[in-house]
Amino acid sequence: MVDLKNLIEITKKIVSREDVRYVVGYKKGTYGFQIMPAFAYTPEDAEDFIYSPVCSKNLAVYTILEEKLPLKRGEEEDKRKIGVVVKGCDSRAIVQIIQEKGLKREDLVLIGIPCKGVIEPKKIEKMFPNQTDLIDVIENDNSEYIINIGGKTHKVPKNELLSDVCKSCEFPNPPLYDVLLGEEVEITEIEEFSKIDELDEKHTEDKWEYWKRHFERCIRCYACREACPLCYCKECMADTLNPQWIRRSVNLSENAAWNIMRAYHLAGRCVSCGECERVCPVNIPLMELNKKIERDVKKMFDYTSGLDEEEKPLFGMFKPDDPEDFIL
Amino acid sequence: MKIGVYVCECGSNIASTVDVDKIVEEAKDLPNVAVSRVYKYMCSDPGQELIKNDIDEYDLDKIVVAACSPRMHEATFRSVLEDKGLNPYVLEIVNIREHVSWVNSDKDKGTEKSMALLTGAVHRSALMKPLERKKVGVIHTALVIGGGIAGIQAALDIANMGYKTTLVEKTSSIGGKMSQLDKTFPTLDCSQCILSPKMVEVNRHPNIKLLSLSEVVAVDGYVGNFKVKIKRNPRYVIEDKCTLCGDCLPVCPVIAHDEYNQGFSPRKAIYISYPQAIPASFIINPDDCLGIDPLICTKCKEVCGPEAIDFDMQPEIIEEEFGAIIVATGFAPYPIENIGEYGYGTIHDVISGLDYERIVSASGPTEGKILRPSDGKIPETVVFIHCAGSRDPSKHLPYCSKICCMYSTKHALQYKHIVHNGTAINFYIDIRTAGKDYEEFYQRAAEEDKVIYIRGKVSEVLKDGNQILIKGVDTLSGETVELHADMVVLATGITPSEGTKEMASLMNLAVDINGFIREAHPKLKPIDTAIAGIFIAGTATGPKDIPDTVSQASGAASKACGILSQDELEIEATVAIVDDSLCRGCGMCAEACPYSAIEMQVINQYGHSTRIAYVNEAMCKGCGSCAAACLNGAINQLGYTDSQILALISALGGD
Repeated sequence: MVDLKNLIEITKKIVSREDVRYVVGYKKGTYGFQIMPAFAYTPEDAEDFIYSPVCSKNLAVYTILEEKLPLKRGEEEDKRKIGVVVKGCDSRAIVQIIQEKGLKREDLVLIGIPCKGVIEPKKIEKMFPNQTDLIDVIENDNSEYIINIGGKTHKVPKNELLSDVCKSCEFPNPPLYDVLLGEEVEITEIEEFSKIDELDEKHTEDKWEYWKRHFERCIRCYACREACPLCYCKECMADTLNPQWIRRSVNLSENAAWNIMRAYHLAGRCVSCGECERVCPVNIPLMELNKKIERDVKKMFDYTSGLDEEEKPLFGMFKPDDPEDFIL
Repeated sequence: MKIGVYVCECGSNIASTVDVDKIVEEAKDLPNVAVSRVYKYMCSDPGQELIKNDIDEYDLDKIVVAACSPRMHEATFRSVLEDKGLNPYVLEIVNIREHVSWVNSDKDKGTEKSMALLTGAVHRSALMKPLERKKVGVIHTALVIGGGIAGIQAALDIANMGYKTTLVEKTSSIGGKMSQLDKTFPTLDCSQCILSPKMVEVNRHPNIKLLSLSEVVAVDGYVGNFKVKIKRNPRYVIEDKCTLCGDCLPVCPVIAHDEYNQGFSPRKAIYISYPQAIPASFIINPDDCLGIDPLICTKCKEVCGPEAIDFDMQPEIIEEEFGAIIVATGFAPYPIENIGEYGYGTIHDVISGLDYERIVSASGPTEGKILRPSDGKIPETVVFIHCAGSRDPSKHLPYCSKICCMYSTKHALQYKHIVHNGTAINFYIDIRTAGKDYEEFYQRAAEEDKVIYIRGKVSEVLKDGNQILIKGVDTLSGETVELHADMVVLATGITPSEGTKEMASLMNLAVDINGFIREAHPKLKPIDTAIAGIFIAGTATGPKDIPDTVSQASGAASKACGILSQDELEIEATVAIVDDSLCRGCGMCAEACPYSAIEMQVINQYGHSTRIAYVNEAMCKGCGSCAAACLNGAINQLGYTDSQILALISALGGD
């Protein structure tokens, strides 16, 4: 368990530094199991910081969402660093963005958290629906979540609430950090992301039927894109007008085009944080697409994204000795 | 907008598997198509006239030609458009020959595919825009890298055509590997005698600047305008002052291996690699000399009459601009110590082909007597093993080194000419004598001079007392062969030299799987590289004999002069363009660019200093790699913009 006092102390120290603008972390939400991103500009702001198993949000997204507004004449660029609280996958997202030169390592201060997996909000809301009070969740040493609702304590086995991507997570420890809170997590058991095997075995037409059912529901809110730390193009291809790759109309053809394009643009880049699926209001299993491509990339190129910030991105590198045996 | 569609029958090449009349009729219904015609040979004069007349009559502003590959006749049809005052870039070619008729036998399907491609092209054509070819100036000087026979010939040819040439050589003298050879096949004329007049000519030619002990360390720029940095290493002897008197030799206390003689003889720390060396000046090897740092010995300086010795010489960087570059960086012998079973490096009397050249040479360590290295005796039996390293894909070089059959034959013949009673045995896989008078040379060796040829590969070479035991198989009789010899000469294979590898990576030149520089086209552009203005000559592209090397060098020189003789060069208009507002400065495009045409620039964007990709249009070849690599879709290739490609794809999909 992350020592909250320690987290706040460290955050305070970092925020107090002259070369740091702010630190992004988690704070309590307004009701139910919600949490919110917190921006600590001053040491006092850091008092609100929390960390618990419901802190599923990938805060790496805030490093690239910030808009660079035009500067007034004579105004200096603010070149101070941004601090971020990162779990394993969040850190990998940062590594991936650094690889793609979307961020510079020296512009970041990373507070690493060895992650024991996060609770899937959709699962816990289903188990304890319609909560109006703010509820604390704690993980005990016996792989159980202790949930206090209205004075009543529930003990739920971890596996029932754990996010699916966490069950198959190979990298719970941040590969890149400046400070690490607590001991590194030991990787015990990894479940295969079995759903892709099931899908792989299906006939092409059945696969299409499966995805058609999901894509038909898409309302093109682009929440998947906004939550993804690696969807950070200046202008998304879904928004361009010349050429217009995808039309605005919400129908199966355009929805499928969007969802497939989104998945392929993450090929060799997705870090499996699961945010896209988590935020999808119509429950499209987006991670199945991402995981399938992740596995193909691993098989074809023996490449795993977001582990070494010095490495080149998969589709930005060329190896003269690449066997390319899948081409011919 | 009025589009003219022209479908070519290409005799029966296209018409036999594509219903051309049908697609011509259907094309008339495509949007913006004003006229659609078929002709037997569209590329012929009457075919071209047809298009020209239509441009006048129908006032066409876009042309779509469905014919062969644009690699064949794009230039032809572009000139048709230009003749009629249209921009050459509003031409679209649909390849219905190589992409349809030649790879398909079903006429219905061929017609269907042709129509689909034509429909896509017409839709794309509507979005095509006139493009402008830009012009760049030309610097009228050439750079030749490598002072072997290839570099010497290329530099001389360019200089004789009247252009200033800089010849850069890494070592202390030009001449290269050829200067180490004794005689040359198939005429047996003395290598040094035919080479040194050319070396002297390089030295005295008013148009040639020779930079010895120099290395190219950076190449920037583009065709007609290369910016090159050359590092000149110190010789410690002032070239112009040295008179080659040799007074320094007796006083120098350092003895080192003589590289020119393959280490078979000693030399001093101050030396000249061979008497005919150009520049004709001594050199001090700083690794051997005691005097340079720290100052312990100054004996040579004390005796040097003309005061030519300068221990304080420093490396200098020369920056110059050139219009064209010729890479003639040559080869290195395959490291035959890698072939453990042949015993090179462990058995004294197993030597390489180049070792043998020095031993047999009159200017060599034995003054032309064939004496074996171990005990200085005349070998009575010499075995020449062909393909030492070559044609061995599993362990060594997969390719044939081309010259070894001939030089081993020459070696055997030279031996027989000197040691009349001796036995010369060649072990070969195949005898390859593809060259003028080569077969006759081999016949002469085998028949007149009684050189023995055994077809088979040697499996092992062992030391046996004073002699060498050779074990192998005669593949003609199928019997195993075991014989004793006094000396073994390995016909060493050819590999790209370090300099070749360095230059390839420095200039981003493509290399083949063996590390040799890749030609722009193996048959039709064997002298060009993928980068305009950079040419290749000699063994940097692969094994070659001297005549091939010299003719390639002359070819490269004339290619280079083709550029140097221009005042301006037109550059291709289908270049990449960057949308500044979308570029986020990651530089992935610059890394993907095989022509180094993209560099990152920092601009002020509303007060923020932002990195932006900048395309040097003169260097861009329009390959599209950057556009594909750009994560943000900020790069488009003119003539093949995303909008045009999407229109084409949409039309193919029937939407």
